[in-house]
Parts: sequence; C-alpha cells; structure tokens
Amino acid sequence: MIGTGLSLERRIQIGFGIAVAIIVAVGAVALRSTEATVSSAQWVAHTLQVRAELEAGFADLIEAETGVRGYVITGDTTYLAPYHSARATLNSRLAGLRALTADNPAQQRRLDSLDTLVATRLERFQWTIETRRTGGPAAAARAVVGGRGKELMQLVHDVITQMEEDEGRLLAQRAVTLQAKARLARLTAWTGALVAFALAGLASVLVGREMAGRRVAEQRLRLLVGSVRDYAIYMVDPAGYVKTWNAGAERIKGYAPPEILGQHFARFFTPEDVAAGRPAAVLHAAATEGRYEEENWRLRKDGSRFWADVVITAVRDDRGALLGFAKVTRDLTERKRAEQALRASEERFRILAVTANDAILSADRHGHITYFNPGAERIFGLRSDEVIGQPLTVLMPERFREAHRAGLARYVATGEARVIGKTVELAGRRNDGTEFPLELSLAAWKHGSEVAFTAIIRDITARKEGEDQRRRYAAQLEAANKELEAFSYSVSHDLRAPLRGIDGFSQALLEDYHDRLDDTGRDFLQRVRAGSQRMATLIDDLLSLSRVTRSELQMAEVNLSALAAATAAELQKSDPTRAVTFAIAPDLVVRADPGLMRIVLQNLLGNAWKFTAKRSPAHVEFGVTANDHGRAYFVRDDGAGFDMAYAAKLFGAFQRLHAAAEFPGTGIGLATVQRIIHRHGGQIWAEGAPERGATFYFTL
Amino acid sequence: MHDRSILLVEDNPDDEALTRRALAKNNIQNEILLARDGAEALDWLFGTGAHAGGAATPELVLLDLKLPKVDGLEVLRRIRANPRTRLLPVVILTSSREEKDVVTGYGLGANSYIRKPVDFGQFVEAVRQLGLYWLVLNEPPPNPDAA
Repeated sequence: MIGTGLSLERRIQIGFGIAVAIIVAVGAVALRSTEATVSSAQWVAHTLQVRAELEAGFADLIEAETGVRGYVITGDTTYLAPYHSARATLNSRLAGLRALTADNPAQQRRLDSLDTLVATRLERFQWTIETRRTGGPAAAARAVVGGRGKELMQLVHDVITQMEEDEGRLLAQRAVTLQAKARLARLTAWTGALVAFALAGLASVLVGREMAGRRVAEQRLRLLVGSVRDYAIYMVDPAGYVKTWNAGAERIKGYAPPEILGQHFARFFTPEDVAAGRPAAVLHAAATEGRYEEENWRLRKDGSRFWADVVITAVRDDRGALLGFAKVTRDLTERKRAEQALRASEERFRILAVTANDAILSADRHGHITYFNPGAERIFGLRSDEVIGQPLTVLMPERFREAHRAGLARYVATGEARVIGKTVELAGRRNDGTEFPLELSLAAWKHGSEVAFTAIIRDITARKEGEDQRRRYAAQLEAANKELEAFSYSVSHDLRAPLRGIDGFSQALLEDYHDRLDDTGRDFLQRVRAGSQRMATLIDDLLSLSRVTRSELQMAEVNLSALAAATAAELQKSDPTRAVTFAIAPDLVVRADPGLMRIVLQNLLGNAWKFTAKRSPAHVEFGVTANDHGRAYFVRDDGAGFDMAYAAKLFGAFQRLHAAAEFPGTGIGLATVQRIIHRHGGQIWAEGAPERGATFYFTL
Repeated sequence: MHDRSILLVEDNPDDEALTRRALAKNNIQNEILLARDGAEALDWLFGTGAHAGGAATPELVLLDLKLPKVDGLEVLRRIRANPRTRLLPVVILTSSREEKDVVTGYGLGANSYIRKPVDFGQFVEAVRQLGLYWLVLNEPPPNPDAA
C-alpha cells in the first residue's frame, strides 16, 4: 500500500486524474502536430497550385500567340478564339495567383512584373490584330516581324520560371517541415500512449493490490467472525432469514450452517415469544433504533433453552437502504445460573442472619452500626432503625466504652487486633440499661478499601447461670469426694483398729486363760477371731472398690497375657497341691490402666481358681474372641459354674451365689471388676451353668 | 537417757496393749517410751513440754500415722528436720494402706512401713521380725548425745 492517509477511492481518483491529464496533453500535442501536418500539406498543395496556375497562364499566352499568328496569316477570325479566351482567363489567373501568394512578398513583386509583361503582350496582340485587319497580311507580318513579341514571351517565361523555382524551393522547405512535424506527432503519440499505458498499468497494480488487501482483510474478518465460538454472530436479511452463520452460532444454538442458512430466525425464539410476535418486534425495533438489545430465553436446536444476551444491529448501505441485521448472541446461562445461585446464597445468608437467635451486627471503620439483625433487636431491646448509624458503644456498659474506642482506633491505625478473630466474654447493655453477660465473636473484613466489622453476639445469661450452677455442683461434688475420701481413710484406719483389738484380745484370752475355758468357750473365741478377720477382708475389698472409682486412669500398653501368666503362677504358688491347667493365649496387648487390669485378672482368675477347687484336674483358659463389639477377652473355667437365672446378680457388691462355707469370698470382687471395665468404656458379662463351669467376657 | 528404748507413738490403748504384748511375746525387753499423740512424741524426742527434763534418744520409733494434735507424718517430718534426730530409725506402724500415706511416709524418710494386721498371730510375727531386724541386726547410727 502507498503510505498516505488518502483513501483508496481518492488515490484511484487522483491516479486516474493524472492519467487523463497526460492523455489530454498527449492528445493536444498530437492534434497540434496533425494540424501542423495538415497545414504543411496544404502548403505543398498550394505550391503545386501556384505552379499549375503559372504554367496554365503561360500556356494560355502561348495559345493566344499561336491564334494571333494564325489570324495574321489567314485573316480568319476563328483563330482569334484562344486569344479572347486567354484575355478572359489570364486576369483571373493572375488575380488568383496574387491571392495564393499573398503571404510571399517576393512572389507578389514578381507577379507585379508578370502583370505588366502579360498586359504588354496582350497589348501587342491587340495591335497586331488591328494591323492585320486594317493593313492586311503584309502589314501584319511586318508588324509581327518588327514587333518585340519574342522578347516579351522570353521575359514572361523568365518571370514564371523564377516564380516556379521560388515555389519549388518553398515546396522543398515545406516538405522538410512536414516530415519533421509528422515525426514529432508520431513521437508525441507514442510517448503519450506509453505514459498512458504506464499509468494504466500502475493504476491497475495499485487497484489490484488494494483489492487483494481488501480480500485478505475480508477473509480475515470472515475467519475471525467464523471462528468466534463464544458468540453467535450471524446475519439475517431484512425479512429475518439467516444469511451467515459462524462457529459460535453453531456451538451455541446447535445448528450446522447448511441446516440453518435460509431459515427464518424466529425458530430461535421460545414458542411464547413467537406467539407474542417478538421476532418481528425485535427486528422492527432494531430497524427503527438502529440497535436492539435484550436478555431473554432462546431455544437451541434440541429445544433446550438458554439465557441469551442478544444484540441486533440494523445494517444499511450508503443510501440508508436496509440490507439486513447483524445479530450477536451470547449464552449467559452459566452466568444466569451463577447469579441465581448467588441470589439464592444471599437469600440463605439473609435468612440465616434474620432468623439467627444470636445478635449479628456490622459496623463501619468508625464503629458505627450498619446492620442489626432481629436477634440483635431482641437481645438489646433496640429496633434496627434506632441503632443504624449509632456507635457500637450504645450497646456497651459505660465502663467498656473507652476501651472499645481505643481498641477500634488502634486497630484502624495499626491493624493490631486484640479481640478480632477471637471469642471473648464481655458484658452488654440493653436498652433499658440492664447489663447482661455476652459472648462476642468479632471479625474484620474489607468493604471495598474500607475496614468493616461483623460481630456475632450471644446472650450467655442462661449459660452463665448454668456454669455457675455447674461450678456449684462441681464444688459440692468435690466436697463430697473429699468427704468420701476422708471417710474411706477413716474406715481403713479406724474400723480396723477395733477389729485388731477384738482379734488380739481374743487371742490373749485363748493364750492366757486357756485352762479356764472349756472347748465351747475356746470355739466361741475362735469364731470371734474369724469374724473380725473376715470383716477386715471386707473392709479391704470395699476400700479397693472405692479406690477403683476414685483413681485416675493411667493408660498404657498392657500385656494381658503376661499379666494373666503372672497371676496364674501366684495362684499355683499359693496352693501347689492343686492340679489346675492354665491355657493363656499369647500376646494379648491392650491399652488400659495396668494396675486396674491386674485387679481384673486377679479377680477373674482368682474366681476361676476358687470355683474349680472341687475339680481335679481343673482347666482355666484366658483368651480372646470376636463378637459384635469387637474383641472380647474371656476367662473360662470348668468349675462350679452358676445358674444363668442369677447372672444379673453376679456383679453386684456383696452378692454371692455360693455359700461362704462352700467358697469363701466377700462378693465385692466382680463388682470391682465391673467398675474397672466400665471405667475403660467396656462391657462385662458372664455365661455359665451349674457344675458346667463359667466364662467371663469383657471388652475394653 | 533411756538408752536402747523404743518410742511407741500410739493413741489407741488397745493397740498399745497389743503392741506391748507382741513385744513381750518376742522377748523384746527394751524400755518402752509411750506417746499418746504426736505432740508428746516430739516432747519425748526434743525434751520439751511434759518431758522437759531431757530429750530421749530411743533406738527405734514405732510411729502411728493417725494421731491427735500432730499427726504421724508431721512428727516424721520434724524428726528428719532436726539434726539430732534426723538419723533415727522410724518405722511407721499403722492401719492405713492408702498409697498416699505410704508414698508420703517414705518420702519423709521413714525406714519402714508396716501395716498392722488384724490377725494377732500375724501381728506378733511382724513385731518379731521388726525387733529382730531393728534392734538386733541393724547397726544403729551413732548416738548424737554421746558425741
């Protein structure tokens, strides 16, 4: 392209203007050359005419002389005809020559001489004729002989020759001029033709290049429009029939170009819109306003709807005639959906804020309330419209206000937060001036560039009261525990002392007064001793039970298998005469309190040992089995067993299923075991049948 | 004064009688100094109050824990805090088997901790072993008064 700011049309106009100017100039030069040529040619013809006239005049003169001589000789007047004719023609010939050579002074001067010579010669002919008629042939002959006719003719001839030569010279000159002009005319014509041809060629190149550029640009535009996938871009004619179709249109609306080209665009509208005449209405609006835009539902080929942003632009030619409409459609379904989701979300949060039992309120960077939910209205006893714009301090007791103002100023200035992002307990002030305890969660956020705050406030009056109540209960419980501990200590220490006395002095009686007691008396004293010792055991077991309840669980890895083996060894050592086989599953490791698990296994294995006393050999098994609750550990024996009808009584304190005389015991062991298992979050249960043995299961 | 004596700190007369009997049955002839409460025990040891005449230097202290006025653990603490008595063998002889008492007792420097069995036979056996160990086998620390 030529690098000017001129439009193509202007450049082409200028190019053609220059070409026309050159052609006109060439034409003018050629015309002038031609005119000159023609003029030269006229001059040649003119020369030839002059020479012909001169020769014809001289011939007239010769003929006149011959005629005159014939008359002189014969006297016959008929010979005088050429003379009369010559007289008539010569004057006109001379006048014609004078006219012909009017531009040539030298010829004019010669014509003057010729006029005189011709006139003289014609006078001599007249005189000879008069002489012949009046004097007869002789006189006439003398006159002819004596006359100077011959000399005159020679003179005329000379003058004519000079004139002819002059004309010939002129002719030669003019011929040369003519040739030069003709050459110039040819040259000019050729040059002009070449220049015009060159210009035409240049213009053609320029136009061609411009056209090619336009074609490229047009193609680019077509490709661009065609490849746009996010927008449906297409044209309809003034009546609404689809004329073009791009990739975006195919993607969004689902029609391939062959399916839709030539179809009416009303098919993109929903049936209700079609029924309402929308297709025509939007075209009318676009035609009237030049542009029409709307967001509305449109149909895809498969009948599904999408939310479309539609822009229709009327396309007109230079004279304003409507060519059609350009339509650009965007699928905003996703955006619409997102907007709906956002609205729904906003609605949810609004409902959340409105229905929240807690006070939710917002404040700007100055601490002025900007939102106050119904929960806040209820808690503070203030209406939203009363507090919006008020400082937050109206919600606080006087003594907190200064600290709040300082904290807010510090946060806004330095970003240092002490309360923000935390939950703190403070006091609030109701509209009636009463104070109440509250829990505050404060968050700071950016509202545009400004800091804003949101507070969630819970009235914790009831909770505080509950906490106080719980604290009181806890204190009472602790006191009760302390009392119980003191009681246990007392029991342990003081209850045993009298027993020692009873036992010790009974023994002293037996020893020191042995001879004064009969067998019955000694037996009674033995019973007193046995009773006191049994009571000591009971007290110890009770203390153990209460310790199990009071002590903290010390959780650790406990190897139950090793513990069971150690317990079994102790039992065997206590009575080596008994034949009891212990089968202990290896590597049963649990996480539990080791001391308490020892008590559990001592009790369960001890019971198994005790209740198999009448069986020999006896079998005791410790193992694990899977059940609904997971792993259940068990201790199984083949001893006395129990009736399942009494299974519920097994784990109660002081509950015994066997006579003390049959199997000794306090009835506290299983109660202790159950407490330990329960404290570990486990379960304990038993299965058995009289004389068929018993199995105790526990989980942890 | 009261060389090779045993200071028995016991508020219960029954227990006192039974202890004396058990000692006697084991032929332990050492003089028994009796304190009915913790304060009296300290009077004995430091020559104060009722025993202002002079401090006793018993060979062994049998100390009950649950005592009127000053309890046994406090008595033990003061014994160990005093340079004159800090090496004195002290055997806690009590009804309590509370872990707390056992741990605190040893922590304060008790030499033994024996729980009085209810069975008198067992008690006699325990006193026998006790006497054998502390009064016969054990080499007592040098008498600070003799130095």
